Amino acid sequence: MVTNNHSRSTTFVLLFLLIGVAFISMRYGAVNISLDEIFSSFRKYFTNSDSMSLNERIFMEIRFPRALLCIIVGACLAVGGTLMQALFRNPIVEPGLVGTSSGAAFGAALYFVLGASFKFNAGVWTLPLAACFGAILSTSLVFVLAVSKESGRSSIVKLLLTGIAINAFFMSGVGFLSYIARDPQARSITFWGMGTLSGANWHAVIIVGLINIVCILLALVYSKQLNTLLLGEEEASYIGIDVKQLKLIILSINVVMISSATAFVGIISFVGLIVPHLLRMLHGSDNRILIKHSVLLGAIILSLADTTARLLLSPAELPIGIVTSLIGVPVFISLLRSKNYYF
Amino acid sequence: MISLPLFFYIEHMKKTFPLVFFLLCLASCDRFGNKDTKQENEKRIVCISKQYSEIIFALGAQKDIVAVDISSTYPPEIKKLPTVGYHRALSAEGVLAAKPTLILHDNNIGPEHVVKQLELLKIPMKVFPKGATLDSAKVLIKEIGAYFHKEQEATALCEKLDNDMSRVLEARKSYKDTVKVLVIHYGQANNVFLIMTKKSTAAKMIEWAGGEIAVDDEKGMKQLSAEVIAASNPDVILLTDFGFDKLGSVEKIKELPGIAGTKAAKNNHIFRVEEHDLVYLGPRTGENTLLLQKIIHPGGN
Amino acid sequence: MITIENIGYHIGHNTLLKEVYLQFHPGKLNLIIGPNGAGKSTLIKILCNQILPDTGSVLFEQRDIKSISVKEMAKMRAVLSQNIELVFPMKVNEVVMMGRYPHFNASPQKRDFDICEETMSYFGVSDLASRNYMTLSGGEKQRTHFARVAAQIWESNENECRYLFLDEPLTFLDIYYQFDFLNKLKVLLSASDLIVVGVVHDLHLAAKFADNISLLYNGQVLADGSVESVLTKENIKTAYRLDAEVQSALNGIRLQF
Repeated sequence: MVTNNHSRSTTFVLLFLLIGVAFISMRYGAVNISLDEIFSSFRKYFTNSDSMSLNERIFMEIRFPRALLCIIVGACLAVGGTLMQALFRNPIVEPGLVGTSSGAAFGAALYFVLGASFKFNAGVWTLPLAACFGAILSTSLVFVLAVSKESGRSSIVKLLLTGIAINAFFMSGVGFLSYIARDPQARSITFWGMGTLSGANWHAVIIVGLINIVCILLALVYSKQLNTLLLGEEEASYIGIDVKQLKLIILSINVVMISSATAFVGIISFVGLIVPHLLRMLHGSDNRILIKHSVLLGAIILSLADTTARLLLSPAELPIGIVTSLIGVPVFISLLRSKNYYF
Repeated sequence: MISLPLFFYIEHMKKTFPLVFFLLCLASCDRFGNKDTKQENEKRIVCISKQYSEIIFALGAQKDIVAVDISSTYPPEIKKLPTVGYHRALSAEGVLAAKPTLILHDNNIGPEHVVKQLELLKIPMKVFPKGATLDSAKVLIKEIGAYFHKEQEATALCEKLDNDMSRVLEARKSYKDTVKVLVIHYGQANNVFLIMTKKSTAAKMIEWAGGEIAVDDEKGMKQLSAEVIAASNPDVILLTDFGFDKLGSVEKIKELPGIAGTKAAKNNHIFRVEEHDLVYLGPRTGENTLLLQKIIHPGGN
Repeated sequence: MITIENIGYHIGHNTLLKEVYLQFHPGKLNLIIGPNGAGKSTLIKILCNQILPDTGSVLFEQRDIKSISVKEMAKMRAVLSQNIELVFPMKVNEVVMMGRYPHFNASPQKRDFDICEETMSYFGVSDLASRNYMTLSGGEKQRTHFARVAAQIWESNENECRYLFLDEPLTFLDIYYQFDFLNKLKVLLSASDLIVVGVVHDLHLAAKFADNISLLYNGQVLADGSVESVLTKENIKTAYRLDAEVQSALNGIRLQF
């Protein structure tokens, strides 16, 4: 197909851009780290890590894992957005729509406020597990409530509306928890809720990275089936898709992806919303192409946003959610108004 | 959902800390551009505590301070130093960019993961004992004095503080009534006021000054609605610098819901105070309390 | 052959279908007609396995459709619903290619591209191949879907018949394309393994093109059989509450109201 070659060249352009952006995000920051130091830190990290200078350690322990986490989380958010938009056939859907983000937020808030009073402790895993628990709770609540009694099926409109309601419910839960929280706890909740990658470390990179590689590969496997949903659920079933099973799989992928990322970096909006939109303008809505490109463009946009967040008020740092909203809202509105994009 | 970030934004505005953070950023954007003029220093201290900062400068020990947090605003010359941002929203690289050989902080820094990162990189950090009461504040001054080898200056500061405080307490004896004071921090946002309560440092100073804080709560600061403000009916309302300047004038402040009906508004007893004079104890606490007395007991009675 | 045996369906106290027995034969254009609320759509949905009937069963040859998996079904049965809207931009050839999805795994083979091209040219949408589906007119969209469902069952299966269900397929077409489509359908029906069942509203078109008409009324089969035997003055009066004049014409009958 002609589009195939065309889309392949886009893949290369995006890949090239990603490498450039990743380089910038690793090269520049509040601390001035030279190229030599970057190279030597790689060399020493594997041979003689004790002899690393402070700058080399800053690069290896803070900046490098942060740049990597940025790429992974950006990819995750964008793919999540693509999956959800295809599943719901709705262009204004974000990964958080079916309650996932707010549930994860609630889980994390619960951990911050009441964590000490629970016996459960899994070390560094406690927070992500708590977020995942909240995300699964809220998402399954949405689905249980959205299933109609008569047909035993859930229509997409019903899901969307239930999602909004459950989101509001869990967000008020977060609000309540942060209200009763004692001061230092409240601080964690607020920081976590705005989204920040400043907590990036190798743990986060490895955990979020592994989970997301598996999820993205799975998403690619199901991308062809996901295409049929563009025609509607009924049509999809006529083309041989087990719609119920497909929905369950896509949603599970989404829940796992989003809650793993949210647990470590908090809620980051708009990336999942605008990336699929921008890409659809390039090559239409074939999810097989869309998902691959989402990985790249999501990573590019989040890396750019994080670099901006770090450098704009350097040495202070903005919460990244503010930057993504700042970039995302105008892009989104201009997309909505653009004439070559139809809903 | 689009409303999600918006919701968070509002939710956080409510939580005051980002509000504080952004307003401070806006108000002091120029401070982020400050040049590091102490590049050659061997000892490089980053001080992330407004209380410590003021004491260090009062001691004349600021030679090795290369950067401070953005809330450290006294003395005025401190604003010429580079800043590492808001003390509860630090970024590891932001602090490290100052190439610190030592970080001074009062255990009120965050977020937690950034502190962990700094510990991971084995950046030396020092915390002095808490100075939340008058006696412990003097201990703090002496400790910091000892650390910087400014023992004599520390003693002098403590003596001056004692002198000022005895004048304060002397004056208080002559007051016949206790004035009810409301302290509003950062003005009004989302129709709620951030109020300093009886648990705050300001409450101590108001009490020494012969007044009484109008609102009680478990936390030092509390967001309260206009109704509570109106019900507390204070005799005097103090606004910290940022909030006062944002609203512009006493007339504007008097129009705010909740404030309009209070005795303070009727009698025009609304005043501006500097935040750094009121939120921690330090060498100037005595002086500042004397000023407070002039405000809330203008006739000396 | 499709056999419908004793199909009944109701929602609450509302009986939508009752004791429906019908047979549809290959090589013929089977059209279902009936007034609003007669149960046409429900019957098509049951045929497509979208809803399960309360009583009775549908057999494709000897097999109950309940026992055929969604995947296997998709290889032999295509359905054209009415008014399919896309929310996201997609090219016409990509939409048509979806008809081939049941037949390939990861990516389409040459055979699939060839079939898509054939069906697109058959239904006259080749020129639109790289257009965005969302920018098409209603008629162009409909023809795109003709090409898609045709692509899905373009090839004969070894042991099974091919089935095509049409739910009011002519809605957005002008009279030229209505005739054009039905004529093309007739050409396809020369294949002896193709069974076409469609719901239409237009009695004139039904009279002109149908090989077999089933007239539904109040959830039951009022009449079933050849055009002449179903579209009688009495049946039309009962089902549509209209007085019609039925005239014999050169090929079939003509209706006048």
